Amino acid sequence: MGDGGDAAPASAGDRPGGHATADGYRSRWTWERVTWGTHCLNCLAGCPYRVFTRDGQVAFEEQAGTIDPVTGGVPDMNPLGCQKGGAWSAQLTSEDRVLHPLRRVGERGSGQWEEISWDEALAEVAEAVVTAIDEDGPESVVFEESVEGGLLAQAPFLRLAALLGAVTLDANGLVNDFPTGQHLTFGKFSCASTVDDTFLADVLLLWHSNPAYTSIPYHHFISEARYRGARVVAIAPDYNASAVGSDLHVPVRPGTDAALALAMCRVLLDEDLWDRPFATTQTDLPLLVRTDTGRYLRQRDLRAGGDEEVFHVWDGAAGLTAAPRGTLDLGGLVPDVDGTHTVTLADGSTVEVTTVLAMLRRHLEGYAPEDAAAVCGVPASTIRHLARLVAGGRCKILEGFNGPKYFHGDLMERAMCLVLALTGNWGRPGTGIQGLALAGLDGYLLFSMKTRPGVEETARILDGIDQAMAQMRRRDPDATDEMLGNQLLALATSSGTSAPPVFFNYHHAGYDETWNRTEWSEPTMTKPFGDYLRDALRRGWWGGVARPGASTPPRILFTVGTNPLRRSRGGRANLVDTLWPKLDKVVVVDFRMSTTALHADIVLPAAMQYERVNVQYPITHMLRLAFSDAATPPRGESRTEWEIFSALARAIAERAVAAGLDEYDDARRQVRHVARLGEDFDLGGQLADEEMVLDEWVRDSADAGTLPPGSSVERLRRDGSIRFTGLGTFAPGLSVAADVRDDEVMTAFRWHVDRHLPFPTLTRRAQFYIDHPWFLEAGEQLPTHKEPPRMGGDYPLVLTSGHSRWTVHSIGMGNRHLLGTHRGRPLVVMSEDDAAARGVVEGGEVRVSNDHGAFEAMVRVTGRVRPGQVIVYNGFEPHMFRRWEGANEVEPGMVKWLHLVGKYGHLRYLPFGWQPVPADRAVFVEVAPVAAEGVAGS
Amino acid sequence: MFTYSLQGLELTAADTGPVEVEENETTARSAVYQFFGGWFATGPADLFDQAVEGKWVAGLTEAAALLPFGLDIGTVAVPAGADAASFTADHERVLGGAALLGGAGRPDRDGEIAAVRREYEYFGLAASDDAPRPADHLATELDFLQYLCFREAATPSPRLATSFRRAQRDFLDAHVLDWVPGLVGSAGADAGPLVGWTLGRLGAFLAADRAYVVERLGG
Repeated sequence: MGDGGDAAPASAGDRPGGHATADGYRSRWTWERVTWGTHCLNCLAGCPYRVFTRDGQVAFEEQAGTIDPVTGGVPDMNPLGCQKGGAWSAQLTSEDRVLHPLRRVGERGSGQWEEISWDEALAEVAEAVVTAIDEDGPESVVFEESVEGGLLAQAPFLRLAALLGAVTLDANGLVNDFPTGQHLTFGKFSCASTVDDTFLADVLLLWHSNPAYTSIPYHHFISEARYRGARVVAIAPDYNASAVGSDLHVPVRPGTDAALALAMCRVLLDEDLWDRPFATTQTDLPLLVRTDTGRYLRQRDLRAGGDEEVFHVWDGAAGLTAAPRGTLDLGGLVPDVDGTHTVTLADGSTVEVTTVLAMLRRHLEGYAPEDAAAVCGVPASTIRHLARLVAGGRCKILEGFNGPKYFHGDLMERAMCLVLALTGNWGRPGTGIQGLALAGLDGYLLFSMKTRPGVEETARILDGIDQAMAQMRRRDPDATDEMLGNQLLALATSSGTSAPPVFFNYHHAGYDETWNRTEWSEPTMTKPFGDYLRDALRRGWWGGVARPGASTPPRILFTVGTNPLRRSRGGRANLVDTLWPKLDKVVVVDFRMSTTALHADIVLPAAMQYERVNVQYPITHMLRLAFSDAATPPRGESRTEWEIFSALARAIAERAVAAGLDEYDDARRQVRHVARLGEDFDLGGQLADEEMVLDEWVRDSADAGTLPPGSSVERLRRDGSIRFTGLGTFAPGLSVAADVRDDEVMTAFRWHVDRHLPFPTLTRRAQFYIDHPWFLEAGEQLPTHKEPPRMGGDYPLVLTSGHSRWTVHSIGMGNRHLLGTHRGRPLVVMSEDDAAARGVVEGGEVRVSNDHGAFEAMVRVTGRVRPGQVIVYNGFEPHMFRRWEGANEVEPGMVKWLHLVGKYGHLRYLPFGWQPVPADRAVFVEVAPVAAEGVAGS
Repeated sequence: MFTYSLQGLELTAADTGPVEVEENETTARSAVYQFFGGWFATGPADLFDQAVEGKWVAGLTEAAALLPFGLDIGTVAVPAGADAASFTADHERVLGGAALLGGAGRPDRDGEIAAVRREYEYFGLAASDDAPRPADHLATELDFLQYLCFREAATPSPRLATSFRRAQRDFLDAHVLDWVPGLVGSAGADAGPLVGWTLGRLGAFLAADRAYVVERLGG
C-alpha cells in the first residue's frame, strides 16, 4: 500500500473526464526503481517485499511472493506479508516521524523542543556520557536492548556499549518473551520448526496464541493443514479470531491452562495412551528421586567423591544403574518407571527411591478431569476428548508469547510440554511446541569479536572457538556442541555488557516496593521477594551480571527503537516518577515520536526501513535472511544507527580526551581506551558504513556454513532473501537441534529424537522434575497448577492482552492507513454480561483500575469475550490515552521469585535466556463507566 | 619454493603469513593463475618478444608442472612474417577496448567493480585507485585467484584453507567464469594463433580448475 494521495477510483468508462481519471489512477501505479524491502517489525517474519520508487519517493510496496517451494507436497511460504508491511511506506511520511535532532527545552514530557544540529546533539550526549563515566563509572551508562529495528539497528549501540563497558539491559528480560517453562523443560527456548512444518501436523493446538492476528504471513499453513485433515483446536479464554477458523474452541479460564494440561496428562496415563518408549527415552520420567529429600538420587549420594550430576534409573535386570549422560538412548536398559526401591547411600544408610513418573502419577491424582474442570472451566468430556485427540496423531502446539507473560506461565508451559512428552510429540515432522524462533547468524555473533575485517580474522576466531570447545570437551566428553556452546556463551557473558534487567529495576526503578507487596505475590513464598533476590545474589547465582549494582547510580539511559514508557509493566510510577529523576540524560534514538521520546532529553532521528540497508532477525520460522535496501535517502536529517553511534563514539573520544580521560577501568577492572573509541568502533574506518558491516556478517556466515557459499550483500540485493544452510555455531541456532536441508521442512529437536543427543539440562533429559530447594519449597518440582496471584488487588475482573491485528507493539500507531482499519484509539474489550452488570455501554468510556493504577479508554462490548475477562490489546501508546496513562498503569509487573534461581544445571543466565521476567497477564481490575466515577475528560 | 606476486592488488594487512611455500599441487594452480595474470598485464610488444623467445610455453609448462589435472599446453608457433606490430594489432583488435573488463558486458559496471572490490577486501586485498588496471580487469581477477590459491597452500588452518578454496570456486562462478568463457569463445575464434593459444589455454585451465576445486570441496 502506498500513499495514494488523492487518486481517484479506477472506473474510466465514457464519462467526461473518465480517461483522465483512469490515467491518473494508472499513473499512481508507476515507478522508476524497484528494490527489496522488509520491515523488521519484531514479528518473527521477514517478508520480502518489492518497494517501488517514483520521483525519489516510495510510491508503494507489494509482497514479492518469490520464495521457492521447499519440497513437493508441502505448500510454499508465499506470499509472505500482511497489512502492516503493506502499509509501511505510509509511515515514512507519518506525522509522528522525527526528522531532526531535538533537545528538550521545557520539563520532561512537556512537549517543548528545539531543533539542534547533529554536532550539538552528539556533543551534548558525549559530554553527559563522559561526565557520568568519570564520576560513577561506565555502568552508570545504561542501554535498553532493542529487538525492534533489525540487526543493523541493534549492532551499533551494542558495539558502543561493549567498548565503553556500559550496561545493556537484556531485551528478553524487558519485553518478556522468554518462555520460562520451555527453558525449564528443555534447557533452551528456541525450539521452533519452520512454519511449513505446521502443515504436517494432524492436530494443531493454538494455545496461548492467536495466529490470525499475530502470524498472518504464516496462517495459511493452518488452513492448509485443515484441508489435509488436521484438527485445529483453539485453547483460549476468548473466542478469538483464530478460534473462528478452528474445529474446536476450548474456552479455558484465564490462568488455569496448567490444570487443563495436567488433566489431559492424567487421561493419557489412566487410559494408557502414552508413548512409553518416547517418554522413557527423552525425559527424566524414569530417573530416581529420593523420597526423603525429594532430590534426585545422585552419584554423590552413593559414594564419596561421586558426581553431583550423574543420575540413576532402576533397570529391571541390573537394578540401580547410572543413566547415560552422553545420549538419551538407554541402550539395553529397561527402566522400572513406576517402582519404589531401596538403595544404600555412601554412609551406609538406606533410603527409599522412586521414579519421577511414579511421583507424577501421584501428583496427577489431583487432576482428574472432573476436578480440573471445576478449576479451568473446561468440561471433563472435552478434556478427555482433547487428550485422546493429541494421542491420536502428530500434534503441534502453536504457542506465541502469551504464556510466559503469566506469573505462572512457566507452570503452564511445563504442563503443555508434558502433554507432548507423553504423546511422543517432538522431533518428528508436524510436532513440537512453536514459540520463539531464533536461528543463528554466525557473522553477526562473530562481529563483536573481530578486531579487523576479513576472512582471516573470522577463521582465527572460529579456530579459537574450536580449540576452546575441544578443551571443554576433554573435561566433559559427553557434552554436545550445544552444551559447549552454552558454556562458551556463559564465559563471554561474564565479561560482556548484557545484564538481566530485574536487578536494575529492583534497585533503581522503584520495583522493590511493588515486588515486595506480599498481597500481590504468590502465597507459597515464605518471605518477601527482596529476601529471595538478596539470597540469590549472596549465593552468587547472578555473579557478574547483576549490573549496575545497587550502589551505582544510573546516569544516562539510551533507548534505541525501544519504548519503555509504553512497554514497561508498572507504568509511569516506576519509570517517570522513580527512575527518570535519577538520570542526567535520557537519549532516544527513534524514527518516530514515541511516548518515551516525548519524555526524553535528546531525540536523535533514525532512518527507517526503505531508507537504509538492513536485515531482519534470523529466525527459524522462515529460515531465510531477508534484506531491506535503501530505496530512498533518509528523510530530513535522520541517520542510520551505524552513522549515529559511530559519530557518537568519536564525539565521546574527543570529549574524553579534552577532559583528560584517555582511559579508565571498567567495573571488571578492564582498561577502556576511550581516547581511541572512534577508531575501535569502525576499525579505523574499515567498517565505514552499514553496508560494509552487513556484507561482513553475510560473508562470515557463509564462511561458517550458516548461509550458502558465495553469499554477500550483492546476492541479497539480487534475490531479496537467502535461505539458511545451517543454524550456526552458537547456541540460539544449535538449540533447534535440527539439520537444514535444501529440500526438507525443518523440524526442531530431530537430533534429540533421531540421534538421541541429550538435552542441555541438569539431567540431560527433557526435565519435568526440578529438584532445586526453592522449587521444592514452592511445591513446583513438578508441573502443577497455581492460581494467578492477586496482582493489582482483590478485584473481580481479569485483564489479559495479546498482540493486536493492526500493529506490532506500538510501531504502527502513527500509520494513518493502519489507524484507519480500526477505531484508531485504545480499546477495552469486555463481555456483554460484565458490561451490563456495570452499566457500561458499547462505545462508551470506561475507567479500568486496581490498587496499582488506572487508565481510561473506549470500551468494545462483545459476546466473544469470556465473562470475567477484560482485554486490552498490546501496542497503544500511552499518549493515545487520557492523561497519557496507558494500560500498563494497572500492571504491577510482578516477577516470579523462582526465576532468580541460578547455578542449577540449565538454570543460569545466558543473554536472552534464563532470567526473571515481569508478568502482565491476569492482572485483577475493575471496570466502570467514566461518567459514573465523574472523572471524564482531560 | 613458490612465491606469489601481486601486480594489480595490494595487501591490506601486514601480517598475512609467509610469502613463499613449498611447491605442491595448490601452488601450481597459483602459479598458473600468476602466469595468465602476468600475460594479461603485459603489453603486447613485450609479449611478442617473450613468444619469440619461447617463454610462453616454458613459463606455463614450469608453472603447471605439479598441477593435479592435465593441461594441454601445446606449442606456440610464431607465424612466419609475424612481428611485434602485427601481433600488437591482433592483440588490440581482439583484446583491446573493454574486452578484458569483466564489468563491461554487464548493465551495471560500477556495481560489478564494487562487487569484486569487496571480494578482494574480504580476503585481505585491495585494488587501489592508482592501480595500473581496473578492479574488474582480467589480470586483476586472475591475480586474485593466484592469491587465493597461494593462501590456501600457505595457511596452517584447515578451516582457512577451506575458506580460500571455497572462495576460488565462488569467485570463478560469480565473476571470472561469468564472462571469460564468452571472451574465449568469441575472441578466441577471431584471434590470430598467438592470442588464440593463450585464450585457449586459459579457457581450458579455468574449466579444469573449477572442476578440481568443486571436487575438493566435496561436489
